[in-house]
Amino acid sequence: MRPLIHAELRRLLATRMWLGTLLVAALLGGGLIGLLAVIGPENFDPPMPGLHTEAGVRAVLGFLGFTAFIPAAIGTLAVTSEYRHRTVNFTFLFAPDRWRVLAAKLSTYGFAGLIYGLVLSSTAALALFGAAALRGVSLGLPTATVIELLARLAVAMGAYTVLGVGMGALIRHQVAALCVVIGYLYGAELLLMMIPGVRHLYPWLPGGATSALTDFTAVADALSQQLSTEPVRLLSPLAGGLLLVGYTVLASTAALLKPMRRDVI
Amino acid sequence: MTGIEVRNLTKRYGPITAVDTLSFTVRPGAVTAFLGPNGAGKTTTMRMMIDHVAPTSGSVTIGGLRYRDIPRPTTVVGAVFDASAFHPHHSASDHLRIYAAMGGYPDGRVQELLNLLDLADAAERRTGGFSTGMRQRLNLATALLGDPRVLLLDEPSNGLDPEGTAWLRSFLRDLADDGRTILISSHVLSEVQQIADDVVVIRQGRLLTAGPLHELTGTAQAVLVRSPDSAELSRILTRHAQAVRADGPDELRVRGLDAARIADLAAGQGLRIHGLTSEHPSLEQIFLDLAGERTKA
Repeated sequence: MRPLIHAELRRLLATRMWLGTLLVAALLGGGLIGLLAVIGPENFDPPMPGLHTEAGVRAVLGFLGFTAFIPAAIGTLAVTSEYRHRTVNFTFLFAPDRWRVLAAKLSTYGFAGLIYGLVLSSTAALALFGAAALRGVSLGLPTATVIELLARLAVAMGAYTVLGVGMGALIRHQVAALCVVIGYLYGAELLLMMIPGVRHLYPWLPGGATSALTDFTAVADALSQQLSTEPVRLLSPLAGGLLLVGYTVLASTAALLKPMRRDVI
Repeated sequence: MTGIEVRNLTKRYGPITAVDTLSFTVRPGAVTAFLGPNGAGKTTTMRMMIDHVAPTSGSVTIGGLRYRDIPRPTTVVGAVFDASAFHPHHSASDHLRIYAAMGGYPDGRVQELLNLLDLADAAERRTGGFSTGMRQRLNLATALLGDPRVLLLDEPSNGLDPEGTAWLRSFLRDLADDGRTILISSHVLSEVQQIADDVVVIRQGRLLTAGPLHELTGTAQAVLVRSPDSAELSRILTRHAQAVRADGPDELRVRGLDAARIADLAAGQGLRIHGLTSEHPSLEQIFLDLAGERTKA
């Protein structure tokens, strides 16, 4: 397995995409959180509790959960680009046990996703604490809790990267896989929350699991308020994290049962 | 010695049988040309050799083992299928380093191959800008990372210019002379005639013939006879030759007799001969003849 992981790391670092992706993480973490914190949630439309409250801090940080489609897309590309550029010919020549190829990609990109998450979270922490200091606001959550929330977000980014790898292996076609992964995470899940009955499934969906992992309920609560429905009850953070891992295992197993075994022609 | 043994290999895609109970062997120390028209099942057969395609039935072994059972398989087999199987933003060096790591080969091997395949100057260039010849050389470099004893190349000279084709021929000849097993597929029969020691010819997934090229061309040798007495000469020659065919009003194509014997037979009957030409048939002609015989059968 080590040679395969070594090869995947070299593949990941061979283009400058990794640098661009980390830059995006820094921009989203530092830029987005900095902007939201400087403006202040109390000035949002509709207004939300300010940074001096627990809900306000959770709401600002929770927005980062909506950027999970980026690491998910990176994970998806890790597999689909092999088919697109036909490198899969050599990859399966060098590693005829295809599950090893997938396992190496899951490990490598899980690690890479975690690094992405750490850059995102650490720049977000700097931006949040910096903005609070700038505005002279005392945050509504203890520093340790803020850091714990951000650490959970970093873990969620790693989990989404491996979920993307699993989805890429399952769908194989690059454009189709990206459409499904981004389309689902960005739109389909929010739409599901609006459907009475179906929305109770939300805690069990990937987005719901991420919200549970980060204790972020602002969007779900806002939707519930607008639709005059009961707020959705999320799972515990640990259960949310495990659920995300479960989705990855499910996608990877399904990929190994059929798509990864398909003839390379 | 690492040869390839294909036994009763069959691949069906739904109602279509791409490869049909195919059996042949490929020996080490020779270049074997795997021939047949487009869609004959050559690529499918070669991909079954390295587990890219799962056979419906039958088996392929390389050195007595199925590909997946070979420890460190790229030390035994190298294969090239697509003209370009590189990430366009990777450099040649990056590409080789990725697969060197995957195969567990030292980075020094990358530089060796870049030098061997005359890619050292282009090592840091993105493969997206490579010419067809450079791509093919990078393909070969990747396949050779593990210094394999068996090399499978699917249509390797597609898109190569005459210089590139000549280079490839000499490169493959050197590898075969070194005792390696080389299998190259092609639908351009004339192209491989200059390099192949053995041929395996298939059509519609079935074996037409397999064996040394010189035996195949030898048995199919013909003599073109020009004679104003062709009708009478044809009657005489038919009794002695394998086949006599009228190619024109004054022309006969005779198989199974050499030019001297034809001249003697004609002289014995007082028949005039205006020309005798010995023909070494092209692989195309052999293939067409074989295909024709099979169709008639």
